[in-house]
Amino acid sequence: MAVISAEMAVIVGPAFAAGLMIAVTHAPLGIVVLRRGIIFIDLAIAQIAGLGAVAAGLFWGEPPWWVVQGTALSCAVIAALFFHLVERFSPDRQEAIIGCSFVVAASLAILLLTGQPHGDEAMEQLLSGQLLFVTWPQIALHAPVYLVILALWFLRPQNRQGVWFYLLFSAAITSSVQLTGVFVVFASLIAPALGATRFAGTRRELATAYGIALIALLSGFSVAIQSDLPLGPVLVCSFMLSALLIGAWPSMRASRLE
Amino acid sequence: MHRMLPALFFLGLMTAVPLSAQAKLNLFACEPEWAALARELGGDDVEIFTATTPRQDPHHVRAKPSLIAAMRRADLVICTGASLEVGWLPILLQKAGNANTQPGGAGLLLAAELVPLLEKPVRLDRAEGDIHPEGNPHVHLNPHNIALIAQALTDRLKTVDAANANAYQARFDVFSQKWCDATQRWEQEAAGLKGAAIVVHHKAFSYLLAWLGIQEAGVLEPKPGIPPSASHLEALLQKLTLSPARLIVRTPYDPADASQWLSQKTGAPAIVLPFTVGGDAAGGDLFALFERSIALLKGDGRD
Repeated sequence: MAVISAEMAVIVGPAFAAGLMIAVTHAPLGIVVLRRGIIFIDLAIAQIAGLGAVAAGLFWGEPPWWVVQGTALSCAVIAALFFHLVERFSPDRQEAIIGCSFVVAASLAILLLTGQPHGDEAMEQLLSGQLLFVTWPQIALHAPVYLVILALWFLRPQNRQGVWFYLLFSAAITSSVQLTGVFVVFASLIAPALGATRFAGTRRELATAYGIALIALLSGFSVAIQSDLPLGPVLVCSFMLSALLIGAWPSMRASRLE
Repeated sequence: MHRMLPALFFLGLMTAVPLSAQAKLNLFACEPEWAALARELGGDDVEIFTATTPRQDPHHVRAKPSLIAAMRRADLVICTGASLEVGWLPILLQKAGNANTQPGGAGLLLAAELVPLLEKPVRLDRAEGDIHPEGNPHVHLNPHNIALIAQALTDRLKTVDAANANAYQARFDVFSQKWCDATQRWEQEAAGLKGAAIVVHHKAFSYLLAWLGIQEAGVLEPKPGIPPSASHLEALLQKLTLSPARLIVRTPYDPADASQWLSQKTGAPAIVLPFTVGGDAAGGDLFALFERSIALLKGDGRD
C-alpha cells in the first residue's frame, strides 16, 4: 500500500472511521440478508430513509438534525416492519415487493425534488454521498447507534431474526445512508457477504466477510487518495473487486488442482 | 572544476532552502474568475488552487481529497459568497479546520460583500427557487465589480503576505490601469448592444446585462435553479412572439435543450457565453473573458 502523508491521514481519518464502523456493522447484517435472499431490502430501506430525510428538509425548510434523523428513522422502521409483515404473509412475493418499494421510493424522491433548486444534486448526494466531508462530531453522533446495534446483535442471537432483525437493520441503514449514500451502503452489505458464501454457516463466514471489507476499505481509500477521486464511487468498486478476488480465489486454485 | 561540482551543488541547495522555506502564499479560489484575478495580482508570489472548473456549476462540488488538502493549506481564500457556495464552502471550511481562513478573518474574502448586489429578494421562500437572501451572486461579469474586488484582494494579499506587499501593490497598479482602459474600450465596443433584448437560461448574466444596458427579455428557468418546464417555455414563447429577442444565452454548464427548443421556435440564435475564465475553447484571462463575451453578444466570431 502506498504511503499516505500525515496530512491525508487527518483529512480522511473521519471518513475511514465511518467506513470501518459501517463495515463492521454491515458484514453480519449482509450475511443474513444474503441467506434470506432479500438482497434489495437494503437498497429499499436506504432509499426510503433517504426519502424521509429529503422530505423533512422540504417540509421544515432548515430542520434541526434530530428532525431529519427522526423522520428518516421512522420511514425506515415503518418500511422494515412492512417488509416483515410481507415476509410472514406472502414470503414468495417479498423480493418483488421490496424491489417495487425501492423504485417507488426513488421516484418519489425525484418527484419531491422536482421544482426544488438543485434537486438533481440532492438526488446524487443521496445515492453516492459525500463521505469525505464527514467530521468527527458526526462520527460521535452515529457511533453509539452502531455500538448498540452490534451489542444487540452479538449478545443476543435471537435478535438476528424476526422483527428484531428488521428493526436493527433499519436503524443501521438510516445512519449509514446519511454518512455514505445508498450505493456504498449496498456495496458494504452485500459484497463482503457474497465473497464469504462458501463458508456459509461456519464461523469463518463472518471472518472472511470482515477480511473482504477491510481490504476493500484500505484499497479504496488509497486509490481515492492517490488518484484524487470522490471516495464513495471508488469504495463501491473496491468492495466488489475485493469480494470477487477473495471469493473466487480458492475456487480458482481448487480447479487448477483437480 | 569537476571536483567542485558537488560542493557547488550543495551550495546551491543551501541557498535554495531558504527560498523554498519562504513558501509561496497558498491561495484557494472557489471559482476560476477569482483564480484568474489572483493570478493577475499575485503573479509568482502565490500558488493558486481552483475548487471548481469553468464548465461546472459552482453551486455544487464533489468532495475530493485534494479539495480538503488545499483548504487546509490555504493562507487566503477568495470565493463569491452571497450563498453561492452555501452547499459546500461552510462544511469545507469546518472540515479543513484551518484557523487562517475562518469566516470574519483576514484569510477569507467574499467578493459579493464588496459590490452592490442586484436582485435582492423581497420575499425569502424556498418556493421562489434557489434565491440568495443577499441578492444575485454572479457579480464577476461587470468589470467595475472586478475593479473593486481587485482592490480588496490586493489589500488582503498585502495583509496576509506583508513581505511581498510592494510586489502586490505594483501588480495592482499595472492591472488596474490596464483594466480601466479595457473597460472603457469594451463600453464603446458594446454601445450598440444597449437596449437589445436577450433571453438567459439562468440569471447568471444579470451583472453583464445591467452593465451593458441590455434588457433581459426572459429567463428559461421558471425560478432560479429550477429546470425549465413545458408551461413556462410555452408562456415565454408567447411573450417572445410579441416582442422578439435578439439572442438566447446560457453558461457552459446549463443544459442546451431548452435554449435550442426556444431558438428553433423563435429563430433567435442560442449561444453559450464563456461565463468565466476558461469557459470556452479560447480560454485566456479576465480580459479575454470580457472580449469574447462582448464579441459573442455582438455576433462576431459566431457561426
